[in-house]
Amino acid sequence: MKITALLVLKCNQEGSDPVILANASDVSRFGFFQRSSVKEFIVFVGRTVAKRTPPGQRQSVQHEEYKIHSYNQNGLCALGFMDDHYPVRSAFSLLNQVLDEYRKTFGDSWKIVQADKVEPWPYLNEALNKFQDPAEADKLLKIQRELDETKIILHKTIDSVLARGEKLDSLVEKSSDLSAASQMFYKQAKKTNQCCTIL
Amino acid sequence: MRGKGANASIRDRTQEFLGIAERVKKSYSSQNGPSSSGSKPLGPQTMAMQSEFNRKASKIGLGIHQTSQKLSKLAKLAKRTSVFDDPTMEIQELTAVIKQDITALNSAVVDLQLLCNSRHGNSNISSDTTTHSTTVVDDLKNRLMSATKEFKEVLTMRTENLKVHENRRQLFSSTASKNPANPFVRQRPLAAKPAGSTSAAPALPWASGGQSSSHPLPKNQKDGETQPLMSQQQHQQQQELVPLQDSYMQSRAEALQNVESTIHELGNIFNQLATLVSQQGEIAIRIDENMDDTLSNVEGAQGALLKYLNSISSNRWLMIKIFFVLVFFLMIFLFFVA
Repeated sequence: MKITALLVLKCNQEGSDPVILANASDVSRFGFFQRSSVKEFIVFVGRTVAKRTPPGQRQSVQHEEYKIHSYNQNGLCALGFMDDHYPVRSAFSLLNQVLDEYRKTFGDSWKIVQADKVEPWPYLNEALNKFQDPAEADKLLKIQRELDETKIILHKTIDSVLARGEKLDSLVEKSSDLSAASQMFYKQAKKTNQCCTIL
Repeated sequence: MRGKGANASIRDRTQEFLGIAERVKKSYSSQNGPSSSGSKPLGPQTMAMQSEFNRKASKIGLGIHQTSQKLSKLAKLAKRTSVFDDPTMEIQELTAVIKQDITALNSAVVDLQLLCNSRHGNSNISSDTTTHSTTVVDDLKNRLMSATKEFKEVLTMRTENLKVHENRRQLFSSTASKNPANPFVRQRPLAAKPAGSTSAAPALPWASGGQSSSHPLPKNQKDGETQPLMSQQQHQQQQELVPLQDSYMQSRAEALQNVESTIHELGNIFNQLATLVSQQGEIAIRIDENMDDTLSNVEGAQGALLKYLNSISSNRWLMIKIFFVLVFFLMIFLFFVA
């Protein structure tokens, strides 16, 4: 359930490689000496995938143990490098959010960019951290999870209510026995009172 | 009967053969002897009929035996069928052959029975022979019936197997079969599908090496994998990307439906909870009433006992008074007398 990198690229229509607009990678898992090569790898693979994603399409590619999800939205392409367990839907909704945020932040200025941008975009880094848990990205998943928890709690409640019902039943029995016994007691007392008053 | 098939072997057993034939002839003539004393000329005829009967019976028996062997083979084949390796052709051929055999045997048994009855019309046959032939015919009929029943069972088992396989196949391929059936009138990614596009991006070379995860939605991956490399046409690639979009949308729709059904179930659970609690409320009220009754009873009993106690404790007073009165009377009585 890990996101390794999030990339935003500008996809030209044909031929040329896409231009990287933002890049957030989490390479802390790898050894110190592998980090730069992993970053290169991410950049290269990201460019290739984005180049081959037609506009308006979503695509998922499996590469070794990563899944790379790409979403091309009219030239602006967002990519996510995730592991196999990350649910696909959440990945795409995350990419959607990233793209929306990017458009909001940078407007249309990305269209004229020709070279790779190197300054980091803080939102992307935050997003990388925040969305390690897929439920954050995908509201549906969150809702489903909460509903499941609620269902479990309700099941427990019903169980306890049933136990309460059983206890109430036993209480009813006992109280009816008690009232019968007290009635006998009363009759007995009256009987003893009535017949031996003389003595 | 068995001598009839004598074959030429190195040893010349002709004499033995002749002796056996004599013996058989004698035994038959002795069978027919007691009842056919006056119909000796008919002996050979009855013997011929008898042998014909026996021949037919033995043929039918052999046929039944072969049919049951074929049936057991068919049963094994039918049991063996798996989803992928279905020997349908063989099974069907075998079924047809067995059916033919069974019908032939049926007609043969019917013929035999007719023969038997016709011979019974012939009065010069011993009762033993009649019973024997009827028994033989009955036995053959029973065996044929059991073979037919087995055949039917094997066919039912085969149809059940087929049904199971069909279900399993449907289970695994229902996703692939649903995709093309979906309307393509969806949201923006599909509307943005370029017509006759120029993007030459088939699935990536490393996509073919990937495996779909244990994730519940491996559809995208399957679509990505099924593409070979550059030789793929645009059109086909479009079609496979569209199912990808579709599957994405489908998965969203599915998730929404799940959420909706969960909420529905939750509503149900709440209703049940309310019912349970209201029922238990009634029980609680009953308990309360019982306790009130108990309280009043106990209070009444306590009052009664208190009165009793009072009467006990005050009785002595009364007794003393009465005693004094008695003593007083005694005194007066004593006064008057003494």
